[in-house]
Amino acid sequence: MHPSPATSLAVAYRIAQPIALDARFTIAGFTVLLGASGTGKTTLLRALAGLLPAQGTPWGGLPAEARPIGYLPQGTALFPHLTALENAAYALRGTDRLERGRHLLAELGIADLASRRGRDLSGGEAQRVGLARALARDPALLLLDEPSSALDASTKEAVFAALIEAVAARAIPTLAATHDPAIALLAERLVLMGAGGILQEGTPRDLARHPANEEAARLLGYQNIWRAADGRLVAIRAEDVRLDDGAAPEGAAEMLEGIVATVHDAGHAVRVKLAAPLPLIAMLRSAPVLTPGQRIRLRLPHRRIVAVGG
Amino acid sequence: MAPLDDGDWRAIATSLLGGVLTLALIALLGTPLAQRLAAPRPPGWRGKAIGIVEAMVLLPMLTPTLAMGIVLAATFGPNTALGAAAQHLGLRLTNSFPAFLLAGVYAALPVYVVGARAALAEVPSALTDVARTLGDRPGRLFFRITLPLAGRGIAAALALAWVRAVGEFGVVLIIAYYPQGLPVRLWVDFQEAGLPAVFPLVLAFLALALPLPLALGLRARR
Repeated sequence: MHPSPATSLAVAYRIAQPIALDARFTIAGFTVLLGASGTGKTTLLRALAGLLPAQGTPWGGLPAEARPIGYLPQGTALFPHLTALENAAYALRGTDRLERGRHLLAELGIADLASRRGRDLSGGEAQRVGLARALARDPALLLLDEPSSALDASTKEAVFAALIEAVAARAIPTLAATHDPAIALLAERLVLMGAGGILQEGTPRDLARHPANEEAARLLGYQNIWRAADGRLVAIRAEDVRLDDGAAPEGAAEMLEGIVATVHDAGHAVRVKLAAPLPLIAMLRSAPVLTPGQRIRLRLPHRRIVAVGG
Repeated sequence: MAPLDDGDWRAIATSLLGGVLTLALIALLGTPLAQRLAAPRPPGWRGKAIGIVEAMVLLPMLTPTLAMGIVLAATFGPNTALGAAAQHLGLRLTNSFPAFLLAGVYAALPVYVVGARAALAEVPSALTDVARTLGDRPGRLFFRITLPLAGRGIAAALALAWVRAVGEFGVVLIIAYYPQGLPVRLWVDFQEAGLPAVFPLVLAFLALALPLPLALGLRARR
């Protein structure tokens, strides 16, 4: 999908403290910044927001209050002493500010929370109010830091869907920093972050088909990465490894015979780790009872094996 | 028990007016200072400079008040360079009403700063960060976010500073014996007339010193 000019933003930032970073990438639509903890995702977001000294484009040199951005830090940070309505209308000026704030809350389906104090709202409610607050000034960029951390598993999907709908409706480029692969799946564009900078960027599909290096592959959820016989680095997801049950194969595949190291029944699948010849991890949907030390045959379908880098 | 005489009423008025002005000065000077000290220390020489300022502000708290008074007299007294220079400008830095205010500020500013700093440090930086991204400049967000959230702690710090300022004796004795505030007047009356005779003045002192802290304390319990 070609990023349209209105919803894409080219970013180039150099940061020295507290983490040294040189990050160049493009934000288009709902973009997820995926990276392990400690690599500097929050630092990058704060630099974009103008909350720490950094050089770069856009808005380099401008103080935070002068930047046209909306920012939702980890934990949402609602003003506890103000009501949801006052929070949403915080950035607005004029005699009709509360009315416009009410409108914002209604758009996100939380008009009924208007008179509740910030400190009394649950994680999901607070996040929606925080979003309304960030959208009030019609920002040119929306920054979300670990947006799923304040949500519990049962409401995560619903809250997230609403969030993505709201920003898509306003065509605001959004950068969501996370280490949660489930959020990455919802992205229009994915930016992988490693120590010091950007590893790779593109659509989730392109990245999944061809991770740039081992670190990128791990971020994308590939647990199995190894060097094939011809020297190339390859990877396969644990979910794509099949147990050879003797049935007719659906396509070309690598066959692997190995010894089971550990078995764990996770309910929806059985997690098997091999001791030899590779420390391969497989999530098997339907498997007979397996025991450590047992010999098993695994199928790695060729079309599921991806080349890493190179 | 003898009633209060003219000198006593003048002392009450001096302490009341002086106390209010001293507290206002302390709030105006001490709040930005406390905010600076509450903020994360910047690296390098700026952080060290702030550390030195912090030590200087807190020093009076650790110094016996008489010693503090003597140090101030030795620095600003009429026989010193600073004192003489100020007198040329028409300002007496000892035994004047400004000196009386100064004595109160020296004594009570550190008390206020310690309390206010703790209260301001409690305001999560995430909140001020978000307020900035919503367009608030530092001044505006101080009154909309920081002060409301640090309010109780600051009120407590003010109450303590008030008590300290109106009760200040050691520094006042040395550099601001005149005009006589309540503590000095109590001392003088006590020496001249004995303990029972000063009871009315003691009650007057308590009536002056206690209402503000009690009012602020009651608000904090709300």
